[in-house]
Amino acid sequence: MLSPVLFDPQTLGSIAELVHNAYMGIKATIESINRMQADGIIGKYAIGGAVGATFYLEPAATLDVDVFVIVPTKAGGLLLSLSPIYDYLKAQGATIEDEHIVIGGWPVQFLPASDDLELEALAQAVATTIEDVGTWVMTAEHLAAIALRTGRSKDHNRILQFLEQGAVDRKKLSLIIDRHNLAGKWKQFEHRFLEGMHG
Amino acid sequence: MDKSKMRARLASLSFSEKIKILEKLRERDRTIAASGLRKKTKPAGTDKTDRLAEG
Repeated sequence: MLSPVLFDPQTLGSIAELVHNAYMGIKATIESINRMQADGIIGKYAIGGAVGATFYLEPAATLDVDVFVIVPTKAGGLLLSLSPIYDYLKAQGATIEDEHIVIGGWPVQFLPASDDLELEALAQAVATTIEDVGTWVMTAEHLAAIALRTGRSKDHNRILQFLEQGAVDRKKLSLIIDRHNLAGKWKQFEHRFLEGMHG
Repeated sequence: MDKSKMRARLASLSFSEKIKILEKLRERDRTIAASGLRKKTKPAGTDKTDRLAEG
C-alpha cells in the first residue's frame, strides 16, 4: 500500500514543539491573498492540493500551496489571465519562481477554475481559519475528485489516505465522480488500488 | 504510540496546528536540501512526488 511517510518525531520533536516553533507562516500568505480578493483582483478562492488535504488528514510534506481562484474577466473577454494577480503581488514585493509566486515565504500556484468540477469545488468550499485569518478549503470529496482526475502517483496516494482515514463521504464522492464524468478513472483507480481491500 | 494512532491524533489537530507542522516539515526539507545530503542519495531531477514518497 502506498503511504507517504509523515515525519519522524525523533528528529522533529514533539507535536507541541512542532506546533509552536514554526518559522514562517502560511497565515501571512493567506492574508495577502485575502487582501488581493478584497481589492477585487480575484473572486472566490479555495485552497486545494496537499495544503487543502491537510485540513482533513495528518500533515504531509509539501513544497507549495495550490490556490484555485475565480479570475474576473474584462467585459466581453473570454481569456483567463493570471497577469493581474502577478502584477498585484509583485508590486507588494512577491517574487516569481517558475510557475509559482512566492508570498510570505511560500510558493503559491494560482490555478484559475476553468471547468465545472473546479467551479463546483470553489462554490462548495468550506470556510475555516488559520489562526485568526479566514480562508476557504475545498471539500474532501472535491479534493479527492480533482486528485483522481489529475492522476499522478501523489494524487493516488492522497485519495488512498482520504479513503483509509474515512475522511471522505463515499456517497458524495461517488456523485461528484458521476457528475463530472470521472467514472472511468475511478474504475481504473479501484482496480489498481482497492481490489482486495475490505470496506 | 503506534503509527495509526499517531496519524489519527495528527489528523484531529486544528487546521492552524496542522499548518504549523506542515511549515516545520517544509523547513526540514529545505534544511536537508541546503545541506546537500539529498544529492548523495537521490539523482538529479528528482521531483516533488519522489520527495513526498520518500518523506
